[in-house]
Amino acid sequence: MLNVGWEGAPDTLNPAYAFLTEAYTIFDLVYGTLTTQAATGEYVGYLADTWSHSDDGLTWTFTLKDGIKWHDGKPLTAADVAFTLNAVMADPDGWATVSNYVSGFTEVSATDDKTLTIVTEYPVSNMEYRLSWLYLAYPPDFEGFETAEDLQNFSNFELIGTGPFKMSTFDEDARILILEANDDYHGGLPTIDQIVFQTYDNADALIQALKVGEIDMVLDVPFSAFAALSDMEGVKPVGLPGSYFDELIINSVPADHDPAPNKNPALDDPAVRLAMAYAINKEDMVDVGLFGLGVPGDTIVPPQLGGGYWHNDDIQDVPFDLTKGNEILESAGYVKGADGVRAKGDVRLEFRLQFPSDNSYYPRMADSMTGWFGEIGIKTTPEAVDPDSLYAATTPVGDYDLVIWGWGPDPDPDFILSVMTSDQFVEGGWSDSGYMNPEYDQLYLDQQQAIDREARRDIIWEMQKMAFDDRPYIVLNYEYLLRAYRSDRFTGFIETPTWGIESFQSLLQVKPVQ
Amino acid sequence: MTRRGYLARKIGLAVITILVVVVINFLLFRVLPGDPVRSVIGRNVRISIQTQHALREQFGLDKPVFPDQFLDTVGQWMRGNLGISWSLRRPVGDVLVAKLWNTLLLIGLGQILSIVLGVALGLVAGWKRKTAVDMAALTFSLIAWATPTFWLGIIFLAAGSTWLGLPTGGIVTPANVGKPLYTVIPDLARHLVLPTLTLTILYLGEYMLIMRSSILEVLGEDYILTAKAKGMSHWQVLRRHALKNAMLPIVTLIALNLGFTVSGAIYIETVFSYDGLGRMFQTALVKQDYPLLQGAFLLLAVSVIIANLLADVLYTYLDPRVRAT
Repeated sequence: MLNVGWEGAPDTLNPAYAFLTEAYTIFDLVYGTLTTQAATGEYVGYLADTWSHSDDGLTWTFTLKDGIKWHDGKPLTAADVAFTLNAVMADPDGWATVSNYVSGFTEVSATDDKTLTIVTEYPVSNMEYRLSWLYLAYPPDFEGFETAEDLQNFSNFELIGTGPFKMSTFDEDARILILEANDDYHGGLPTIDQIVFQTYDNADALIQALKVGEIDMVLDVPFSAFAALSDMEGVKPVGLPGSYFDELIINSVPADHDPAPNKNPALDDPAVRLAMAYAINKEDMVDVGLFGLGVPGDTIVPPQLGGGYWHNDDIQDVPFDLTKGNEILESAGYVKGADGVRAKGDVRLEFRLQFPSDNSYYPRMADSMTGWFGEIGIKTTPEAVDPDSLYAATTPVGDYDLVIWGWGPDPDPDFILSVMTSDQFVEGGWSDSGYMNPEYDQLYLDQQQAIDREARRDIIWEMQKMAFDDRPYIVLNYEYLLRAYRSDRFTGFIETPTWGIESFQSLLQVKPVQ
Repeated sequence: MTRRGYLARKIGLAVITILVVVVINFLLFRVLPGDPVRSVIGRNVRISIQTQHALREQFGLDKPVFPDQFLDTVGQWMRGNLGISWSLRRPVGDVLVAKLWNTLLLIGLGQILSIVLGVALGLVAGWKRKTAVDMAALTFSLIAWATPTFWLGIIFLAAGSTWLGLPTGGIVTPANVGKPLYTVIPDLARHLVLPTLTLTILYLGEYMLIMRSSILEVLGEDYILTAKAKGMSHWQVLRRHALKNAMLPIVTLIALNLGFTVSGAIYIETVFSYDGLGRMFQTALVKQDYPLLQGAFLLLAVSVIIANLLADVLYTYLDPRVRAT
């Protein structure tokens, strides 16, 4: 039995309406998908054995592996797979959390028990990635919902899937979830018979529970507690390069946008942006903000995506150089006043610097930044803002100057690239910088349809360069993913940047220490 | 006024108060900044703009707050339905009942212990004023009352789990999940030791201090002197004359505390990962989950008002002046 402690609990076990990562951790262990991401970042078959696409990239054919059974013993057929995909396509609003993954799909059908065909409207460049998030629901449980609301209200406590673990108990009020090994799993028998997930409401208790041996594994380790774990006997802390990044958002909403942004116009000056980039000591920020548990960042596509394939390695980051920062502003005509703040005409380099109040290390980062900016004659006033208000002030209003915030990109770069597109700067959209560049927007559409992997990479590299040079974001760092486990009890974990040490592949092979 | 008239007036006032609270709460949540759909889904979920609009429609957020949303909510409540939580997709009534039970267990136990111990300690301290006993009790109570909840909880958590092998959180061990609570009482008790101890110590100080000053005040009254002059024993004076009068402020305090304890001892619940109403209030607020928030605040308002009503009723027994007016 493996006891896992975490700081949350699944919001629901219904894949149509699960928003919390805890739910996805469970889905990954219990459900199956056609494809899955290997530790190297590449996509490999999970329930699918082989697949191919037509030359025009519009028709995909998948062949299922043999011997796959649902947890109730029934065999999985291609028609079962088609069921979920068709359900999502038919009711995209009901299947709120996954419908993005079928956009562009026109027809999904099973040609026989083992073969599935997907026809798309345009060539889908990231098909394998999309299918890795489309959990295959058990058809009898998901039939017959008349409205989106009915579907979303379904609790799905039985959670029948095809994965290596099956549902045993979920007590929403005791917040304990128990999975047990699936003896019929097509990929071999798990070594551990049970996994117990238990919720703790604060990190101190979680660490204490690990220390006294009440739990064997912690999925949420705060940056501040990580160092102390190294001294703990029988405990192994794991810090993995992750894909979560923190950034400085520079208000890039065009002045002629409707509604008009409320910002300091100096932010539109590329010289000011470049000077700010020179005035940020990213190394120091990782040390001070993240206790050294991260690396300085440069582009919006972190090196962990796709095993490093998508990250533009050619980009040379701007070094920390206050003298250079001062020179740039000086030659751009910003003159230091008596109070040390630079100004050009009426425009003073004085910005609001906001960050969401639910983050514990942004205050330190904002303080450091304010210090460095002060040395190049830019005055910033740090201010913690409630995340809801901050969202309301950014998208699609643009009432801010500078904001520190973060993103957890998907394993595929598509989503994080979409955050910089113009049509996301609307109510409910994901763009907070208000960056608008028609050329970038076009490249975004191109990469979605570039079915040749190398061609797609070239486009994505170009987009990164564009966003890097225009600086709607100054990417500050890529955070480590922190985990810890009792190494005196368990061994054999696989480390991945997406799932930490708790991927289904990892927990399938974890075994007790002899 | 008769006792019946007094009670009828109090009950009438309580009902009006509940109605006012309902309306104010309804409007209060809706002036919070931010978009509930966005708060429910969080920042890192891939949901299309169109699907967000569909959710907004499903939640009725596309309609005007007043009168449409208000009438929808009130109409639903009239039918005895508190709605379905947006973030948990569970009926609000179910969530409230489950968490209320957890909270009552912990807070009820803690309150009873702290009332009994606090009142007893206050009584002794007041009776033996300016002795070593009084000084010790007073010092302990002041420290207990001034201690930050979170800090005391964490200390107990670390000490209790390290040296006594007590659990670091939760309500039952995973092996006992799903069994009816009364069948796992020893396990439940082990989980309750540390949070109850923390809660008892924190509230005990307050009760003790109020009781002590109350008894001191009463003991200075002329009728106590008269009673002593009549030759009554210390115990008789205390029981027949002092105690009943000194209890009045304590009843008020108990009523106030009981009402507010339904809101949960949020710090204690957080430290000991105890899933009660306090934690739920916080989550509902962060998620801007209106149905859950409205249900929770209705429950809170009703409990505070009922606790006060009970205090008023008790007064009519304890204090003849209330009956006389």
